[in-house]
Amino acid sequence: VNMGTDLAYNFVFKVVLIGESGVGKSNLLSRFTKNEFNHDSRTTIGVEFSTRSIQVDSITIKAQIWDTAGLERYRAITSAYYRGAVGALLVYDITKHLTYENVERWLKELYHHADPHIVVMLVGNKSDLANVRTVPTEEARDFAEAKGLLFMETSALESTNVESAFLEVLTAIHKKVASKEVTRGSISAVTLGPSSEFNEEKRSCCNSS
Amino acid sequence: ASHMPGGCEAQISVKSPICVSNHTLYSCLGHKQVSLSRLGLMFSMSKLQSGNGVQWKDSRSQRGTVESLAEHESSSLGSDPELNGVTNTEIQTDKYGFIGGAQQSAGENADIPPDVLRQREAKWLDMLNSWDKWMAKKHKKVKLRCQKGIPPSLRGRAWLYLSGGKVKKEQNQGKFQELDSQPGDPKWLDVIEKDLHRQFPFHEMFVARGGHGQQDLFRVLKAYTLHRPEEGYCQAQAPIAAVLLMHMPAEDAFWGLVQICEKYLPGYYSAGLEAIQLDGEILFALLKRVSPVAHRHLKKYKIDPILYMTEWFMCAFSRTLPWASVLRVWDMFFCEGVKIIFRVGLVLLKCMLGSQEKLKACQGQYETMELLRSIEPQYMQEAFLVQEVIELAVSERDIEKEHLSQLRRWKETHGELHCKSPPRMHGAKAIMAAEPPSRQDLKQNPTIIVEVPQTTESKTEKGKKTKKIKDTKNTSPPPNPYLLPSDPPLPSDNLSPSESQHLQKDTPLQGSNQSLSSVEHDTYL
Repeated sequence: VNMGTDLAYNFVFKVVLIGESGVGKSNLLSRFTKNEFNHDSRTTIGVEFSTRSIQVDSITIKAQIWDTAGLERYRAITSAYYRGAVGALLVYDITKHLTYENVERWLKELYHHADPHIVVMLVGNKSDLANVRTVPTEEARDFAEAKGLLFMETSALESTNVESAFLEVLTAIHKKVASKEVTRGSISAVTLGPSSEFNEEKRSCCNSS
Repeated sequence: ASHMPGGCEAQISVKSPICVSNHTLYSCLGHKQVSLSRLGLMFSMSKLQSGNGVQWKDSRSQRGTVESLAEHESSSLGSDPELNGVTNTEIQTDKYGFIGGAQQSAGENADIPPDVLRQREAKWLDMLNSWDKWMAKKHKKVKLRCQKGIPPSLRGRAWLYLSGGKVKKEQNQGKFQELDSQPGDPKWLDVIEKDLHRQFPFHEMFVARGGHGQQDLFRVLKAYTLHRPEEGYCQAQAPIAAVLLMHMPAEDAFWGLVQICEKYLPGYYSAGLEAIQLDGEILFALLKRVSPVAHRHLKKYKIDPILYMTEWFMCAFSRTLPWASVLRVWDMFFCEGVKIIFRVGLVLLKCMLGSQEKLKACQGQYETMELLRSIEPQYMQEAFLVQEVIELAVSERDIEKEHLSQLRRWKETHGELHCKSPPRMHGAKAIMAAEPPSRQDLKQNPTIIVEVPQTTESKTEKGKKTKKIKDTKNTSPPPNPYLLPSDPPLPSDNLSPSESQHLQKDTPLQGSNQSLSSVEHDTYL
């Protein structure tokens, strides 16, 4: 990275939050990007987004997190939402088994619209309500492993594992981007600044193996 | 969530539903930390132990996750500032009922002088008394008065009349009660319940979990899913219903919602959301003429209309604009239809992206979207926005023309529409023409009758309880029953008892032929 510029980040990664209505996507977003939680955050209609820059292996990554309505009928308008996403957090509510059962459908939706190399983490949110859990951790973890997804249980309310979840996803994305195994251009991560399109030129300092 | 330092051990988060950050307890209190004792222990343990502490009529309404103690605290927040008997003078409710949040008003708009307001009220009462006549013969004046803003005291009633909801209600007496009494499809109830505490949480009417506001919201939304089971529930209907409920009782709000969903914005809330996507394309196409600079920019960065106009249109700007502006837009929207929504969108896009200077700051998709998400307050300010909307030359014809063109394009790329919505009605007049009401349908049913002090014996209406159709020739404007101390006493009138159009039992205001041609002196915008 050219240290002479004002750029504060090396990469911009677009990450989308998906999952059923009410599982906590908006609060995961606000917790990660603003360290805020709201019991009565407004229903998401349309698209919400927020950013936060983090350090991964001395690289600064700007995470652009997108959030949208979880209700089934909104899936009709999400293709624009998925465009350019390199990561996804597929969120369910550990106290509502139905939200977990629908994960398969969300995965299908995701792969239909998004980049095939997209990094996906299955997130079981509301771990603070473990006393009324209906989705066993191990079951979800096994499912994630079988599907090639990362996995974590979080609590946006208590802030548990929220950082870790995003960090893990962003690190995994970075690894893929830096890896030579990924076909160039297949992940349209925006690099080196807010507006530049995918820069296929690799900088040697970012080529960590 | 913040926890009180050295506070209670239970998971009581003192974070209220209106608190967003970790640092302030109430945004409106402006205190950093508030001890429990100071608040008079607003979260009484007994309330927490009994669940929400709220009696739901229907126990089914309490289905769902057992919430943690932390989530119950908001239930003790009633719809008035008194918390457990302790008057909290620091909670500031603005005149619209907001106790915090982005849409709370800071008194930035000057109040309309009371005498102007009284005059407008008198005029509106007059109009409502002979609504069909006004709509048929003097629609332009109705439109003008809507553009000036409906007096707050009559807004709910006017909206119900403008939308045709009043007529629907009268023609379907007992219908809402019937729907209200039915259990409803659990699939929809589940989603609706999740949304009840997520609409205007900063508004005193909706802040209390299980409070009257949320209960009525539930009833209205549930009734709609029963009324139109094939449509079900779409989340954007909740803010729409909530705005209506702020102005009228549940039954009225229900019919208002019906009219919006079926006449003004058909297909917006249906599965597939095709109508909103089409309108997004129409908006973008219209933008080309209104602001070529903005249009070019959005095109350049491939910013899909769906990415910025969804919440605007689906919620009719109720989540975007400062509250005073929301109300003015809705006043015009009910009268003139969806073109108002288009115009607001176009004005905002033009203002935010309409010049090279402004575009310098958003050279990118994300940056542009961020900009559109935080519209500068000056562009949303009531007087400015209303004026811009009135002046923007975008007509129903323009919209329908573009609609046809976009529909053609859609069919080429997506095939036939899955959800064929009925054609939309462009406002009150169109709605009325499509479904002409009877005189009976428009009858007002006031529950409070105000006796106007009579000054001459020729007033024979005093004491009359029966309906009469009479014409009264007035040589003076309708008498004002709500005299201010500064108002002159009612003039002694030379009325001749003749026919007047009474649509209600005993009215202090007489329907007058004169007012149909009265000069509009009111120049307040």
